[in-house]
Amino acid sequence: MKKRLIYFAGVALLSLALPSCKKYLDINKSPNSAENPDPKLLFSNASTQYINLRSGGDMYIPMALAGQLIADGGNNPTGWGIPSAQEYTFSVFNYNNSWNTYYLSSGTNLKQAITISESATPKNNNAAAQSKVLLAQVVYDLTTVFGDVPFSEAWRPDISYPKFDAQKDVFLGIVALLNEALAQFDEASVLKISDYDLFYKGDIAKWKRLAKSLKLRVLMTMVDKDPTQAAAIGQLIAAGGLVNSAADNFKVAYQNVSGRKNPKFALSEQYNSGESFFFASKYVADFMRGLDDPRLPKFFAKPAAADNYYGIQPGEDGDDDHDSRISSLLQSADAPEVMFSYQEQLFFEAEIQARGIGVPVSLSNANTLYKKAVEESCKFYGVSAATAASFAAGLPDLSTVAAPVKLIHYHQWVDLMDRGGDAFIQWRRSGPDGDEVPLLTLPTGAPAGALFRRYEYPSTNELSVNPNAPATVKFNVKMWFDL
Amino acid sequence: MKKILLLALFFLPSLIMLAQNRTITGKVTNPDGKPVAFATVTVKGTSTAVSADVNGDFSIQAPPRSVLVFSAVSFQSTEVNIGNQTTISAVLNTREVLSEVVVTALGITRTQKSLGYSASTLKSEELLKARETNIINSLAGKAAGVRITSQSGTVGGSSKIIIRGVNSVNNTTVNGNGQPIFVIDGLPIDNSAQQINTVNSAVNQGTSGADFGNRAGDINPDDVESITVLKGASATALYGARAKDGAIIITTKKGKKGQTSVTFNVSARFDNALRLPSFQNEYAQGNQGTYNIASTNGWGPKISEVQDKTFPDFLGRQVTLQAFPDNVNDFYRTGKTNIYSASFEGGGEGTDYRFGYTNTTQTGIIPGEKLNKSAVSFNAGRNIMKGLDIRTNINYTRVFADGRPVESSNNPNVLQNLILNIPRTVNIQDVKDNYVDPVTGQQITLTPGRTGNNPYWVINNNKFSNTVDRIYGNAIVTYSPVKWLTISDNIGTDFYNEFRRGVTRPGTIGALTGNFFTANLYNRIINNDLIVTVSQKITKDLDLKVIAGHNVFEAQYRREQSDAQSLTVDQLYSFSNAGTVSTTNLSNKRRLVGVFGDIGLSYKDLLFVNATGRNDWSSTLPKGNNSYFYPSVSSSFVFSELLSNLSWLSFGKLRASWANVGSDAAPYALSFAYLPVPVSFAQYGFGSQFPFNGVIAFTAPGVLPNASLKPQNQTSYEFGTEMRFLKSRISLDVTYYSSETKDQIINLAVPQSTGFTSKTINAGSVLNKGIEVTLGVIPVKTKDFSWNIDANFSKNKQTVELPGEVKSYVLQSGWSGLQIKTRSGEPFAIWGTAWLRDPDGNIVIDANTGLRRTINDQKIGNIFPDWMMGINNTFNYKNFSLSFLIDIREGGFLYSNTSSTLRTQGLGEETAESRDKIIIDKGVIFDAATNKYLPNTVPVQSMQDFWGQFITTNTEGNVYNASYVKLREVRVAYRLPSAFLSSRLKFVKGLELGLEGRNLWIIKSHVPHIDPEVNFFGSASLGEGVEFNSVPSTRSYGINLRIKI
Repeated sequence: MKKRLIYFAGVALLSLALPSCKKYLDINKSPNSAENPDPKLLFSNASTQYINLRSGGDMYIPMALAGQLIADGGNNPTGWGIPSAQEYTFSVFNYNNSWNTYYLSSGTNLKQAITISESATPKNNNAAAQSKVLLAQVVYDLTTVFGDVPFSEAWRPDISYPKFDAQKDVFLGIVALLNEALAQFDEASVLKISDYDLFYKGDIAKWKRLAKSLKLRVLMTMVDKDPTQAAAIGQLIAAGGLVNSAADNFKVAYQNVSGRKNPKFALSEQYNSGESFFFASKYVADFMRGLDDPRLPKFFAKPAAADNYYGIQPGEDGDDDHDSRISSLLQSADAPEVMFSYQEQLFFEAEIQARGIGVPVSLSNANTLYKKAVEESCKFYGVSAATAASFAAGLPDLSTVAAPVKLIHYHQWVDLMDRGGDAFIQWRRSGPDGDEVPLLTLPTGAPAGALFRRYEYPSTNELSVNPNAPATVKFNVKMWFDL
Repeated sequence: MKKILLLALFFLPSLIMLAQNRTITGKVTNPDGKPVAFATVTVKGTSTAVSADVNGDFSIQAPPRSVLVFSAVSFQSTEVNIGNQTTISAVLNTREVLSEVVVTALGITRTQKSLGYSASTLKSEELLKARETNIINSLAGKAAGVRITSQSGTVGGSSKIIIRGVNSVNNTTVNGNGQPIFVIDGLPIDNSAQQINTVNSAVNQGTSGADFGNRAGDINPDDVESITVLKGASATALYGARAKDGAIIITTKKGKKGQTSVTFNVSARFDNALRLPSFQNEYAQGNQGTYNIASTNGWGPKISEVQDKTFPDFLGRQVTLQAFPDNVNDFYRTGKTNIYSASFEGGGEGTDYRFGYTNTTQTGIIPGEKLNKSAVSFNAGRNIMKGLDIRTNINYTRVFADGRPVESSNNPNVLQNLILNIPRTVNIQDVKDNYVDPVTGQQITLTPGRTGNNPYWVINNNKFSNTVDRIYGNAIVTYSPVKWLTISDNIGTDFYNEFRRGVTRPGTIGALTGNFFTANLYNRIINNDLIVTVSQKITKDLDLKVIAGHNVFEAQYRREQSDAQSLTVDQLYSFSNAGTVSTTNLSNKRRLVGVFGDIGLSYKDLLFVNATGRNDWSSTLPKGNNSYFYPSVSSSFVFSELLSNLSWLSFGKLRASWANVGSDAAPYALSFAYLPVPVSFAQYGFGSQFPFNGVIAFTAPGVLPNASLKPQNQTSYEFGTEMRFLKSRISLDVTYYSSETKDQIINLAVPQSTGFTSKTINAGSVLNKGIEVTLGVIPVKTKDFSWNIDANFSKNKQTVELPGEVKSYVLQSGWSGLQIKTRSGEPFAIWGTAWLRDPDGNIVIDANTGLRRTINDQKIGNIFPDWMMGINNTFNYKNFSLSFLIDIREGGFLYSNTSSTLRTQGLGEETAESRDKIIIDKGVIFDAATNKYLPNTVPVQSMQDFWGQFITTNTEGNVYNASYVKLREVRVAYRLPSAFLSSRLKFVKGLELGLEGRNLWIIKSHVPHIDPEVNFFGSASLGEGVEFNSVPSTRSYGINLRIKI
């Protein structure tokens, strides 16, 4: 009896221990994730993360403040508060989150979308090309914000420590990527990202025009530093097929639905009773007031007591009875985030004609183009077509002004008021140090030294973990394209 | 012969009942004739028992010819047949304390002297005298090498326990949060503090947002018989990987044979804030000395200078300014805790049972904060047939907590921030009485611009609550067919469901349209241990014990969570009432199969050697790499056995051990898979939820998985000695240990330009070396009075080694650029923005503003202490006892956001100074002309500008030495003399009254405004050293009454 029990116990022990536990342990497949998603799902993520970066508190707000497009209102209690990016106090999160979005949430997912599209059978060429164009745009932001950045060795799991490419090479890499996409687009194919294409809903013709315009913008950013790019600009203009109507605007609309509102709007809605934290910058408001610009009431909200739209010197205290704030109509819940607009195309073309970049100088062509650009801008911001046309027609003729190119630049900068990062690029490329348009001075409260020129490399996400990274570059040091 | 004896015992009770009781009196002494205080005297075979008094005198009712059993702690029990006598003197021989048994890994009991490693045991009395609702806290200061940090003063908040330093660098809750394994009666239970991301908060809701506690807090201290802390890998080798950070072995109370008794315990406790900030009371709100109702700060005019004027207050009244020095103080209330517990226990021949019930109701220092915990336990054993025993232990706990305050930042409900920013001129009663407009129903805010929430709006409306229903228990079958063989199987499960909810009422600034979330967290552990034990005497002096076992372990976690936004009907938290609802789910499962063995040899009472081995197969590792073996050896040498001629040496032992354990990875860490994305981030928390414009989204993993992971590996050894001198008046225990965890499975940060945040690799090692000393001295011991000093000291040095190309490793990112990270050869430290310094260490001043310049990403200071010490003094006088525990921490640094807030807002006491003066900060200015640093001559424009430098993003400005000296615990206990009880209250077996206080006094601290003992990262993370709007910790005191009948 006793022996039998011991025997049974022994058998029980063995039977528990010995059966192949392989099957029992084979449970390590995640129920929470997918191994082969459709590339459109990565594309939609990259698109949304990217526009949220651009319109949110890591890009729009600090860029617009440091770039003096808007004013923080100093010690005004319902202003943004100081010290802010206006006084050159940058949160390292601005650096980290921007880098993070460029490389991770947007960059990686676009790279993965390209890989999946190109390795599919049959290849989804349009999806790959759409992803490449968006990636080119992401990298353009990346390099104009940070300068020299990893590009040729980035997004490669086999390279742990990517080298930093010189900005010129990054720009040329973007052009090459756009060319690659242009060659890959296949308008005849039904294989493409359409319902998940938040920009053009799969209209490949628009994508191709955009790709060419983005190329133009890259070359225009380079050309002052590297005049040899003028020829390529001339060729692009000659060949045509660029963005040619407001319908081509490269943008994503937000939704007037909770959780999907434009972050600029959501911030003031949830924290400031719907009123903007930000005041008009005198650099924008003064210029527009001088023109009696019909966009003034579209851009700004005027205090009842004020007789006109006034901005403040960035960093100064905002006066609630006198100074205008950014309008909640401009930064509405469903306001779109714009990456490229028709008026921007026209401003570039006006500048090309006025300066004769790769084309013969033609001030009259430039005049037509700049007026058209301002007219498109007015319409874009909600001014009626008739008012826009008459306002544009009434603008001074370029042949009558002392510095026509500077005037084009100023208009282009004002048009970009709601696009902090893009306006900052425009300002930096508008002239050499000390001759930019507009001519900015150090904001009130900012430390002594040069004006804001870039974001610093994120220390924790990159510098401290990449042996190939350069040393820290201060926020007021110019980058390659910035003369 | 033996059979007859058993039979006799069995019949004894019925015989006694027939016999006539009489009073027996006597004295219990030690062999020297000194009285033994409080010995228990039991009539054998009955439930009749009394305590001797402090003089050893006792009086008991017993029938003639019965047997009295005398027992006392530290003495060997003895039995005396009373025959027909009425006076009995009993002599108790000192029991070597160290022959007490210790419950070690897998419930194996071993004698203390045979242990080759150090283990600390705490008895139930220790846990119950000064009661803590979270059992972890009662370990603070009591065991060398065990460090406890509470997260906050939240009621039912989490506590973190670190044993012998942090061994891991992988900050995942599944594998490496540095917490020891908790084992109750052989069943490993869950002690997680699950973090959940919500749409509305950039901060996880778990411990760092609202603190929902850690699940070891569900354990009912009243049911615990003892807690053994196993510190090193050698002690825990049989648990393997799961116990690489130590093990907390809990044994629950069981019924005792022959003693039916009922114990009632009633406790009432009171809590208040241990330390509140020191405020200035001279300046009103405003800006640069001018009053402004819109600024909730202290930068306005000097109150005494504007008594001739009136100003608008937040209710629109014109008032003369007046400081309310206690306005913040008065926000907090006295928290109250009531603990009622009852237990019934007893047993007969072959059966024992215990039933316990405890109810705890607690309110916190923040109005609206409350917790209710009920625990029921049942433990019963039965001998079914000779050699076959079964035992079952079932525990059910329900915890409901409401009003948990939100800490940290990026959430409108963060409370501390709102309270601290109340201007000095605001009467808190006004704020309390006017948080909602009776006409419009809108919130009344402290500023006309509605820039911040009224704290009473938040605490009255925006409630964060959770409910836990948890059952854990096991069944044990033990069969011992022959004397040398025991087979036992212990199967158990621990499962719970936790429901969390957090609501934010529409009209809350920062969430004006309202929102809420709910989450169901389900966790289940199943564990089975089959153990076969063979013990044999090989020769007269040599004993052999062999244990072989098999273990199956499964842990499953599942979560469903919904986040709702934009509520239409006010205060209706229904998903149908929300504009959008985002629902996410998650689950994971892991399994482990192991076989293990333990061989123990003992020679006389002199030498003990143990060797263990275990092989595990884990589901989380690659199939070819999922098996790992780990051995340990330990030995103990009781050298005092050879030195019995040395009268001053009562006991002496040397011990040594070595162990190597492996551990596995988190589930699903191996394959490259794309995850669904619920939300796209935008700064300040207003990104887009998916579906966005009709599309959903997936993302590539942020962590590059590794398909060829191997188990990580920890090697540790320790040496130690235990000695007692002068008849055990002095006892000393010294341990030196070293543990190195190599091939760490870490998510190594890679440059984000690779497209990933990190990659999972086996790399790096963490080395922890330290010493632990426990010293016990009894300086005075007389007939009525004794004084015991028990001190423990521990020092741990951590060094992290990283792969060559890795410059640094980030453990945790805090807020505002702060990071906890390390470089190779260093321990973990706080890194962040620091003051820029010249080569001589002077702070560099900006020539334009007179303010200090800063530099990013600098090392500021280590987070872990250099050493810890606890000193407990106990005085016993007759039936009174008094003890107090001093807890000391030396070294390490702490970042305080509270201090930053108070300084930048001009509310802290220190900001009142020099406001009317122009100050020139001490420092240097770089002179470009001479290329030299010259002494600063540039004044700061105002003190507002000066203190503005201490913003949260300035790490160094807000980092302090975290050392402290605290009066941790004071207890006074009085036990009614047994003579009194036996003559007046015969039915009462014992009555004890205690007064206790915990966290009474911060004797010394370097951190202004707050208790230095807080941790924003919570127990789910390895990081510590950061305070971010934490609820103040509490001081508690109370009264405890215990009756045993």
